[in-house]
Amino acid sequence: MSADQPGAQHVQSSLMRESLVDKNVIARTESQVTAILPDVSVIQIGGRSIMDCGRSALMPLLDEIVANQSQHRMIIGVGAGVRSRHIFSVGLDLGLPTGALAALSAKDAAQNAYMVSCLLAKHGFVYLEAPFVVQLLPAMLAAARGAVFNGIPPYSLWEHPPAVGKLPPHGSDAGSYLVAEVFGARRVIFVKDVGGLYTADPKTNPQAELIREITVEELIHRRLQTLPIEPSVLELMRHAKLARSIRLVNGLVPGNLTRALAGEAVGSVIRT
Amino acid sequence: MTFSNRGSEFRTELTATADYYSMTDISKNALLTSLGKQLIDGSLNDPAVMQATEATPDYKILPWVNVVKIGGQSIMDRGRQAVLPLVEEIVTNLKQHKMILGTGAGTRARHIYSLAIDLGLPTGVLTVLGTAVAWQNAQMLHYLLAQHGIPFIEPEGFGTLPHYLMERNAVICQGMPPYKLWEPNPEKGRIPPQRTDTGCFLIAEVFGARKMIYVKDEDGLYTADPKKNPACEYIPRISVEELLARDLDDLIVERAVLEFLVRARHVKEIQFINGLKRGQLTAALNGEAVGTIIYRNGDSK
Repeated sequence: MSADQPGAQHVQSSLMRESLVDKNVIARTESQVTAILPDVSVIQIGGRSIMDCGRSALMPLLDEIVANQSQHRMIIGVGAGVRSRHIFSVGLDLGLPTGALAALSAKDAAQNAYMVSCLLAKHGFVYLEAPFVVQLLPAMLAAARGAVFNGIPPYSLWEHPPAVGKLPPHGSDAGSYLVAEVFGARRVIFVKDVGGLYTADPKTNPQAELIREITVEELIHRRLQTLPIEPSVLELMRHAKLARSIRLVNGLVPGNLTRALAGEAVGSVIRT
Repeated sequence: MTFSNRGSEFRTELTATADYYSMTDISKNALLTSLGKQLIDGSLNDPAVMQATEATPDYKILPWVNVVKIGGQSIMDRGRQAVLPLVEEIVTNLKQHKMILGTGAGTRARHIYSLAIDLGLPTGVLTVLGTAVAWQNAQMLHYLLAQHGIPFIEPEGFGTLPHYLMERNAVICQGMPPYKLWEPNPEKGRIPPQRTDTGCFLIAEVFGARKMIYVKDEDGLYTADPKKNPACEYIPRISVEELLARDLDDLIVERAVLEFLVRARHVKEIQFINGLKRGQLTAALNGEAVGTIIYRNGDSK
C-alpha cells in the first residue's frame, strides 16, 4: 500500500507511489518480453535417471552432445539423484526445514554438474555456479563452446514451503526450466530414462501409454499419479512468456537427443 | 542478557507425531528410516512420498530470533525523519531481543522495474535489478548501525549468522530472496512476485523464528489503501485464510507471503506495525498486539 507519502522521496517512474501488490498495477505491467539468448538450447540431464547410472548411461549421451556442438549452442543443467534422497532422509529425520533440505540437496546437483563439466571440458564446456550464470553466461557461450550449470535453482534457505510435506518443490527440473524461460531458450529438453510422459509409471506398469503431446492445463487436470518431471515445472509453465514447450526424451536411446535438438517429434512434448 | 528466563521458548523443539516414529526403524538399527527407503526407492513426485514427509518432526534452528523487515518505500525512502528514530529504537531493543533486519526496495525499484519492462526484459532480470535496490537500502541501514557492531551479511554468508546474533544481537540482510534469474514469472504482468516481504518471511520460516514483524508506514491492514481511500476500514486481526478468501485488490503484503503462511510449519503469525510511530517496534518485540496480526488458522501442522 502506498500512494501519497509526503515524507518519501520518489524517483519519477510509471510505478511511482504505486503499490506493487495492487492487482490493477500488476495488470498494467503485461507486455512483450525479449529473448536474451534465443538460439541456445537448454538440456537437463536427470540425476536419478542418468547420472546415477554412471558410465553406461552418461558417456553415450555426452558423445551425442559433443556431436551436436557444431549445430547447436547448448547449456546443460544437471540433477541431483540418489545422494539427495539420502540426505533428505537424514535431514527429515533430524527435523530440518525445507529450506535447509534445499541448501543441502543443491550440493548433490553441483557435484553431478561438475563431473559433467569435467567430462566435457576438452570440448570447451565450462561449469558455471549461479552467480556466474547471472553475470557471465553470454560471455562464456561466446568464448567457450557450451556451459554446464547446477540444475537446482539457488533458492537455498529461501526455498518455498511445499503444499504437502517438507520436500523442496523446486529441484533441477524447475531450475533448468527457469533458466530456459529467463533466457528465452530455443528448446528445453529433459533427458530421462523413460521414453517420455506416460499415463502411468512405465517401469512398474506395462499397460502405461506414451502421451506424445499434451497441454500443461490438460496434464494438470489429469492428475497423473507419477510424473517424470517435478510438478512445479507445470505450475511455472502456466505463466511462461517464452519457454512455452518442453520435450522429454529417453537419453538411454542413442539419437533421441539429436532428434529433439533438430525439432523432431521424439518422446513427449508439453505445451502451454 | 535476559534470555535465560524464557526457558521454554528457547528449548529446542524436536516433536514428532507417533505416526512418524512408528515409521522409523530404529529398533533394527537399520541405516535408513522406512521413510528413507521410500525416498530412495520411490519417486519424489509421488503424492504418497510427499505425504509421508508431512509427519516428520520439526526442529527450530534459531527459535529466539526475531525477523524484522524495514519497508523500502514506506521507511527507507523517507530518509532521516523516518529511519533515524527507528534505528534508535532498534539499538534500544538490542539488549532484550535478537533481530535479523531485512530491508525492502522502494521507489528506485519501481523506477528500474518500469524501465526494464519497457525494454522487454524478463521477470528474472527484474529480480536481479530489484535485489540491488534492496541491497542498497540494507547497506545504508548497515552504515547507521555499524558503530554497534552489527554486520551486513549476504545470503552466501548466512552460515555466520548465528555467531553474529550471539555476539551482537542483530544482523542486516537485504530482503530479496536470492532467486536472481530463477525467479518464477508472476501470474500476470512482469513484476517479480516474490520480493522482500517474501524473502524475510522465508528467513523466519526456515529458522523457526520467534516473530516476523513488518515495519511499514501504516498502522496495519485496511480493507483498501488508506492513502487512496479514507473510507476504508482497519483490520487489527485476521486469519490468513479469511484474508485470502476476501481477495482484496490491494494488500499490505506480497500475496506470496500469505500463500506460504498457510503452508508454514513454524511461523504461526505475522505482524504489521507503523514504523513512523515510536514504540510500536518495541511493543511488537515484547509480544504486544500492536498493528495488525495475520495468523494461521486451523493449525493442522
